[in-house]
Order: sequence, then C-alpha cells, then structure tokens
Amino acid sequence: MGTISILIFAVFLAVFLGVVTYDLYKSKKNGTNFRIKNCVVGFLMVAPAVLLTFLFILLPMLFSLGYAFTDFNQMRPDEVNFVGFNNFKEIFREIGAGGDMLSALKNTAIFVVGVVPLQILLALGLALFCNRKVRGVAIFKVCFFAPVVISLTVTSYLWVTILSPEADGLLNSFLALFGIPEQDFLSNPDTAMLWIVIISAWQGCGYQMLIFLSGLTNIRSDLYEAARLDGANAWYRFIHITVPGLKSSVLYITITVFIGACRIMVQPMLMIGPYPEGWTLSYYMYMQGTEYSLVGKSSAIALLMTIFIGLVTFIQKKVLGEKKSG
Amino acid sequence: MSVKKIFKIIGVVACAAIVASGIPGWVINDSDADGLNGNTVVSVMFHVSSSSKEGQAYKKRIDAFNEAYKDKKIKATANYIPRTDGSSAYETALISMKISNKLPDIITFDSPKCSYYAANNYLYNITNMVADIKDEFFEGSINYYNGYIYGLPIQESSAGFYYNKDLFKKAGISDKEISEYSDESPWTYEEFKSVCSRLKSVCSKVPVNMSIGGTSDETAPYLLYPFVYASGGQFASEDGNTVKGYLDSEKTISTFEFFQELINEGYTDDKVDANAFYNGETAMYLSSGWTIADLRNKNYSAFPNGSNWGLLPYPYGEEGCAASATGSWSFGITQNHHQDKAAARELLKWLVNDESSRVITEHTGMISAKKAVNEGRYDADSPEAMLLQQLANTGKARPPMVGYSVLSTTFNQIIHELGRTNNLRDLITERTVTLQETIDKY
Repeated sequence: MGTISILIFAVFLAVFLGVVTYDLYKSKKNGTNFRIKNCVVGFLMVAPAVLLTFLFILLPMLFSLGYAFTDFNQMRPDEVNFVGFNNFKEIFREIGAGGDMLSALKNTAIFVVGVVPLQILLALGLALFCNRKVRGVAIFKVCFFAPVVISLTVTSYLWVTILSPEADGLLNSFLALFGIPEQDFLSNPDTAMLWIVIISAWQGCGYQMLIFLSGLTNIRSDLYEAARLDGANAWYRFIHITVPGLKSSVLYITITVFIGACRIMVQPMLMIGPYPEGWTLSYYMYMQGTEYSLVGKSSAIALLMTIFIGLVTFIQKKVLGEKKSG
Repeated sequence: MSVKKIFKIIGVVACAAIVASGIPGWVINDSDADGLNGNTVVSVMFHVSSSSKEGQAYKKRIDAFNEAYKDKKIKATANYIPRTDGSSAYETALISMKISNKLPDIITFDSPKCSYYAANNYLYNITNMVADIKDEFFEGSINYYNGYIYGLPIQESSAGFYYNKDLFKKAGISDKEISEYSDESPWTYEEFKSVCSRLKSVCSKVPVNMSIGGTSDETAPYLLYPFVYASGGQFASEDGNTVKGYLDSEKTISTFEFFQELINEGYTDDKVDANAFYNGETAMYLSSGWTIADLRNKNYSAFPNGSNWGLLPYPYGEEGCAASATGSWSFGITQNHHQDKAAARELLKWLVNDESSRVITEHTGMISAKKAVNEGRYDADSPEAMLLQQLANTGKARPPMVGYSVLSTTFNQIIHELGRTNNLRDLITERTVTLQETIDKY
C-alpha cells in the first residue's frame, strides 16, 4: 500500500510539475507583462493546498475507487484480491432482495426528497425575515444560525431527549396535556425519518439563510422601487425580482443541500440505530466498512453514491444554471 | 531570477517531497524491542483511560512490573486508548497499528472478538505459554479459537436480576420463595413469569427492566444471550461459520418468542430505563455485576444506604439448561514484528497473576478471573457470591465466531423489532439469511 501511495504521489507530482512548467512556458511566450518570479511564487503558494488535497482527498478517493473492485477486509490488509464487479452485483442483488440495503435506499430517498425543499424554503423564509430593517433582527440571526455551530452529536442527543418515548419525555408530556397517548417517534417506521428530516432542516437552514441573505443584499433596491411605482404587490415583487435575483444562490444551495442530504448518517445513527427505519446509504456504507470490516463492499457503495450524486448535480446545474447568452 | 534557477529550485523541492513521503515507511523498525538503555521493551495497549479506576490499576501493575524486572532488563510501556461506543475507536487504533506493522506486544480485547482477531492474525497462539496457569481461571472465560488459547480474562463479568425487596414483599413474594429461585437449581421461565404477573400490580412501570432497549450497543446482546442457551437454542455451529439452522432453529426462535410474550403481557418493554429500578418504579432489573457497586454507593431513593435489594440468577426454559452471562475483556499477545515473545509472555503472566487480579478487581469492584483470588473473599449471602456461584455452575460465553460483530448487530435488530413485528419467525429467518451471507465473507 505504501509503495502504491508513493507511486501515485510521484505521478501526481509529475503532473503538477508538468502543469507548472507548461504554464510558465505558455505565460512567457504569450505574456506581455510576464514575470517568471511571480508565477513561481504563485505556484509555490498553492503547492501546500495541492499537496493536502492530494493526501486527504485525491489519494483516499483513488484508493476507494480501487477497493470497490476488491474483497478488501480491513482486518486482513495484506490479502486483497480483485473481484471485478462482484461487490456491485451483490449490492444490486441486496436491493432486489429487499433487505437493509433497500431500506437504506428508501430512507435516503425519503430524506433527500423531504429535506432539500424544506431546508431551502425554511432558509429562504428566515433570510427574508432577517432582511427586513426591524429592530432586534440581529438577535434573530444569531438564534437561527446557532444550531449550525452546535455539534451534530449534541443536537441528536438533545432531540432524543425531547422525543423520548417515555410518558415523561418532553414532547410526550406536552401531548399528554391534550390527551394524546405517548408516542414512540423515533422507532415508528412511519415517523422516524420524518423527524430526522425536520431536525436536519432545523439544524442546517441557518447556514443557507446566511447565503440567501448575502444574495438578497446584492439585489438592487431601485428594482423594488420601480416595481412598486408600477403597482406590483409583494408577491409579484418576490416572484419577479427576488427569486430571479437569488437564482445563483438557489443553484449553489440546492446542490450543496442535495449532496449533504445524500450523505446523511450521524442523526439516524445516533437517534435511531441500525434498524430498517434508521438505515441510510452512508450509514449502511459505514457499518459495512467500519463495523464489519468489508471495505470492498463499502467502497462500491461509495462509488455508486458518487456517480449518482455527480449525475444529479450535473442535471441540477443544467436545469437551474444560468443560460449563457450569445 | 533566471528560468534555469527556478527549475533547479522546483527540482530540489520535488526530490525533497519524494524523499519525505518515503520516510514514514523507513521509520517502522524493530528498534523499540531493544531501546531504552539496553532494556527489552514490551508494550501493552489498554482499552480504558489511564485516569479511570481500571486504568489506575493497570498503571500500578505496570509500574510494579518495571520495578520487579529492572534487573532482568525488561521494561513495559503502556498505551491507553479508551474504547468508545461499540469499542470502535479502540478497534480503529488496532487496525491502524496492524497496517503500519506497529501492533503492541499485548492488547486487551472484548472476549467475543477473540476469534475475529485470532483468525485475522492479530492474536498469537499462547496455548503453550499459559499451559501451567490456565487451570487457575474459570474455564468458560478462557479465550479459545480452533481449540487453542489466544487470550486470558482480565476479570470476571456476570449478570443477574436485581430486585427490590419492598416491592417483592408488597406483591406477596416471600423470602422462602425467593430463596428457592436462587439455590443451585435456578428458577424456570414459568416461575419467572409468575413473579412478573404478581409484581405487575405493585409497579408503577413494567415489573422488570430486561434491558431490551439496550440495542444500540453490546448491552442487550451481553445481557440477553444466555436466554438462547437457557431455551436450548444455539447461535451458530461450533466453528462459528454457520448460523443458518442455528439462529433460526425452533429453540432459538422460542427464546425470542419468550421475550415477545413478556412484552405482550406487559411485564417488560424497551422504554424502561435503569432509573425506573433505582426510583422504585420497577421491581427487577437485569444488569451486570457493575450495578452492585452503584447500588451500594449511590444512595438511590428506592435503596437508601445501599440496602433493600437482592440479586437473582437467570431463569431457564423447560427444554434448555441454566445459563448465565460471562466473558469480559481479556489480555492477548499479538502477532507483531517481535518474533521473540519471551518478554511479552513475562508481562502477560504478570498482568494475570493473583496480585494483579486482586488490584484490578479492587479498583473495579468486579469479580476476579482467578479462582484463588475469590476464595473466602465474599460472604456466602452476598450478591458477589451469587454471581460467583452462577459463573461456576452456569456461566456460558458468548458464541466465539469470527463474525461476532455482525451477529451482535443482528441480535440487536431482532430484539429491536420484538415489540413491533407480528411475524417474528419470518423476521428471524430473513435476518439469519443476511447474517449468513455476511459471515461467508469472513
């Protein structure tokens, strides 16, 4: 493994140096104000970032890609055999058989479909609220953003306490006031993922709110004034000025929230557990790789997820992206 | 600066980077075996923090070892990596060490993981090394794989039903009846259910906390696995490679049906927690030996000054035989880069000798894994004596199998579904198929 890492690093370094050399050569040939010293300093400055990206992103990705076609068991790192597409066949067979993998797929789909629109709409609503020039809005901004900086583990345990199935659980105590019997929110397959959606949207929307806020400040105020003079009501101003003005923010937020949603793991792991109502693709992948040591299968799931997320992101960019004029 | 000079600098930087990337591989050597002023260094990794009570006991014994072996020029070094939920942090550290060929000489491991570590060449066969001392331990607690010894227990662990004497009295359960349940022939499932039904009216919550809710970690498997044996069932074949025909056998299924019956009758559920017993809302609590110290020292409202409680053994089914939980963490020598295991053997024997066992169990409050250390240590009617007797008579280890982690998860998944499924048989069959497929990969 060490030799392969060094080999990959050598190839990567050669490519990097090749790019640097080619760029220097091209710059010297074409540049009117070419200063070779500046170019080299620039490349040296990005070198640490490039090196870290290689070590912590590119290298693990390449290894994971390779492992997806092997029977790598992390307890036996010296015995890795190439198994072709066996891991992928097994994954699809498991999905067909309706086992945990299918539950993981369904739950992830439910989560993505639920959390992406909810979190974006919630963030947009909060941003519109915080964009108003009213007294004390800064306090609201802090409150809305606070869950983002709290650890996922902490918020998960906090919600486990709130949603405790016991009669003296926080939410159950409240429901008891209206004569509603105690509910087992997180163990009920019908409600478990719904709660994860709500909790995740609550925790994550503060970050997207800030992005929307920055987008809102970039929309020229004279557009709103002109619309008002033309008699446009608030809804029309929102649809015809705010929404188009936020298009690039919406694209960025949709893509990042979608990618994050596909990778959901911590909340179901801590709040539900490895049961049919708690499996998600990342959680299932983690269990296969870490708990069961089946890195080959785990890497195959990761590769399929990457391909799927990449495809959907590409489609999102095509559908929501800015059209190039001319 | 000329272009030539700049290319030279880039060349030097590239060479340095290539050389530096190889350094980690070169520094892995055998120097630690002979380092530190001519001493042979033997390393050990513990699964607890050095500041915990158990960690302090280990530290004391390591210091004592270094003092005793000063003249023999053997020095022990200890590394403490506290296990987290599911012992994953500890296991991750172990795997990293194995990959980088830096396994310590001795490790601690949870006993059901023995087969897993032995099969994957983490543990060293110590059968011959410990032949002279193996009889000093409870046989059920020694870690075997394929008939060979790979680990020796650090301390003993067992469990039983803690009960609230006041609530038992209120339910009309006499001391005489209780004593019949705790003699050498423990109570049956029918007697257990009869007690639960009488307790139902005096408990504000379910009569017994069976720890059925402890399915997020090893709690439920550890406390509930003896019931499978007590029903006459099995988890897997003797070699641990086959679960089909064992986990889904009639007798094993009847164990889960017994649990489901307890839930359906309102005798237990997965919501009740430990506090319900400590507050007097529940009359019985299935828990490990660690609870003894808590009940004595924490002055819970239902047990003022640590009194008013007792401990009953595991019940058993008509078609099975009495079985109780056993197996805690163990010591094992690793298959690391040190071919000469003499120093590791010395340290292992030191860590499991009577004095170490006494010091460790005094710190943890657990029962010693050494028979001699326990002799005359507890009063005949103490809960520890009951656990000790139970261990000697009915202690049965968790199934030694390479795929134990997956079995544990599967067991938890079945327990988790007990209160929800109407078709337990199909659920177990389906889970067994999935489990078998995963085990086949090992």
